[in-house]
Amino acid sequence: MTDWALMLSSSLIQNMFICTAICCILAAVIGTFVVVKRIVFVTGGIAHTTFGGVGLAFYLQSNFLMMWFKPMLGAAIFAVSAAVIMASPKVSRMLREDSVIGVLWSVGMALGVIFMHYVDTSVITPAGYETVLFGSMVFLTRPDVYLIAAVTSAILILVALLFRDLQLTTFDETQAKLSGINVTAMNVILYVMVAITCVLMANLIGIIMIIALMTIPPAMANMFCNDLKEMIISATVISLCLTMLALLISIATDIPPGATVAIVLGVSFMISVIARSVSGKLAAGRISA
Amino acid sequence: MTSKPIEIKNLTSGYDGVPVIENVNLELRDSDFLAVIGPNGGGKTTLFKTILGLIDPISGEVRINGLPPSKGSKQIGYVPQKERTDPAYPIRVEDVVLMGLRGRKGLRPTYSADAREAAERAMEYAEVLSFRRSRISELSGGQLQRVFLARALAPEPPILMLDEPTASLDPNMKDCTYDILRKVNRERGTAIVIITHDMSSISHDVKRVACMNRRLIVNDAPEVTKEMLELSLHCIPELVHMGPCNCGGDKDD
Repeated sequence: MTDWALMLSSSLIQNMFICTAICCILAAVIGTFVVVKRIVFVTGGIAHTTFGGVGLAFYLQSNFLMMWFKPMLGAAIFAVSAAVIMASPKVSRMLREDSVIGVLWSVGMALGVIFMHYVDTSVITPAGYETVLFGSMVFLTRPDVYLIAAVTSAILILVALLFRDLQLTTFDETQAKLSGINVTAMNVILYVMVAITCVLMANLIGIIMIIALMTIPPAMANMFCNDLKEMIISATVISLCLTMLALLISIATDIPPGATVAIVLGVSFMISVIARSVSGKLAAGRISA
Repeated sequence: MTSKPIEIKNLTSGYDGVPVIENVNLELRDSDFLAVIGPNGGGKTTLFKTILGLIDPISGEVRINGLPPSKGSKQIGYVPQKERTDPAYPIRVEDVVLMGLRGRKGLRPTYSADAREAAERAMEYAEVLSFRRSRISELSGGQLQRVFLARALAPEPPILMLDEPTASLDPNMKDCTYDILRKVNRERGTAIVIITHDMSSISHDVKRVACMNRRLIVNDAPEVTKEMLELSLHCIPELVHMGPCNCGGDKDD
C-alpha cells in the first residue's frame, strides 16, 4: 500500500507537483490559442524538433566537454528556430504549412537520433530516448521549479498584455491587419511562446505528451465556454484537476506519470464529448416537445 | 481641392507579379453607394485587397482620402465574406464588434468605456443588440453577417467595403442588410462599396454600378449596361441565361 504521507513529504514528489501545476497553467493558456487557431500540428512539429536539440546537447557535452550546453538549451534553440520558420510568411507563401511541419518534425527527430548515436558514453550517460520522449517528472530539482516558474510568469504577463491582439489575430487576420496589428510579428510571438512551452514541458512530461496537455483541456473547455477568457480559465481548472488526479493515480499504481496524465486527459475528453452529445440531444428533445 | 474617399488611377494588381486586374480607374464619391459586380475570378476581391492594402499594386496608384492604403485603410470599415472566419471560435457577439475598435493605443488588455459605447451604438445600428451575449456559433448566417457589419460600423468609418454580404442569405435577411446599409449611407454619409452577385438589389439599393472582369467599367446610374454584359461574357447567370461560367483568375474572386 502507498504510504501517502511519506511519499508527499519527499522533495522530489513536491517538485513534481509544483512543476506540474505551473506547466498545467501555462499549457492551458497557450494551448487555448493553439486550439482556437487550429495549429495543434504546428505544436506537434515544434515539440518533436526539441529532440534534435536534446541530442545535440548530449553530443556537445560528451564529445567537446561543453557541459554548459544543457539539453534544455539545445531543445530551446531547435524549438524556437522551428517556430520562427513555421511562422514566417515567406515560408508559408512558398510551401504548404503541413509540408513544413512534416519536414521539421522528421528532420528534428532524425538529428536527435544521429547525435545520440555519436555520444561518447565514457564521458556522460545521456538520458535515454524514453526520458526525452516521456519526460522525467520525478527527477525535477528545485532550480528546475524556479526556472519553470520564472519563464511561465514572463509568458503569462506577455499574454495578458497582448491578449486583445492575440484574440483578433487568431480570429480574423484580415481585420487584425486593417487594425494596424503586425500579424506576422504576432504569429511569431505566439509560435515562440508555443516553442518555449514545449521546451519547459518536454522536461516534465516528455515531448510525446506535450500535445495532450496543450490541446485536450482547451478542447474540452471549448465545448462549454462562450468566450476566450472563459475558455482559458476553464482549461486551466480542467488541466490542474485532471493532471493532479493523474499524478495521484500514477503514484498509487506505479504507472509512469506522463503516460498516466495523457490517458486520464484522453478518457476525460471522451466523456466530455459524450456528455455534450447527450445534453445536446436532450435540449433538442425539449425544444421539439 | 478636396480628396475623394477612394481614388484609383491606372491600377494593375495581382499575385506574385501576375496581374489579375489591369489598368483600373475608379473614383468613389462622398456618400456614394457603388455595387461591384462581375464573374467569379474577375478580380473583385483582388481589387478590394489592393484598396485595403492587403496586397501591393504592381503598378498604378490607390489613394484613400488622399492617403496610401497603408495609412488610409484605417478609415475603411470592412465586412468580409462570413466564410472567412471560424464559426467555432469561442467569442461573443459584443467582443467581435469591439474588435473593430482596436486601434494602435498601446498595450491595453481591456477596452475603454468610449470603445464600449461606440460598440453599443454600432450593435444598435446593425440590429444585433438583442443577441449581443450569444456565441457566434449560435447565430444564423444573416445574423453573423450583421455582426460583422456592426464591427465595421463601430469606429464610424467614412468608407464601408463589403464583400458579398448577402451571399446565401434568404430574401428577408438580404432586405434587412440593405435597409441597414441605406440607413448608414443616408444618415452618416458613409461611402459604400459592395461586391455582390445579387442583381435584384442593384436597381433598388445602390447609386452606381461597376463591372469587374480584369478591367473595370463604371456606370453612374444603378443599371447594368450592355457594355457590362459584354465584359462579363456569359459568366453571370443572373445577367444572361447562357452556358456555364468559364472564367479564370484569382480563386478568391
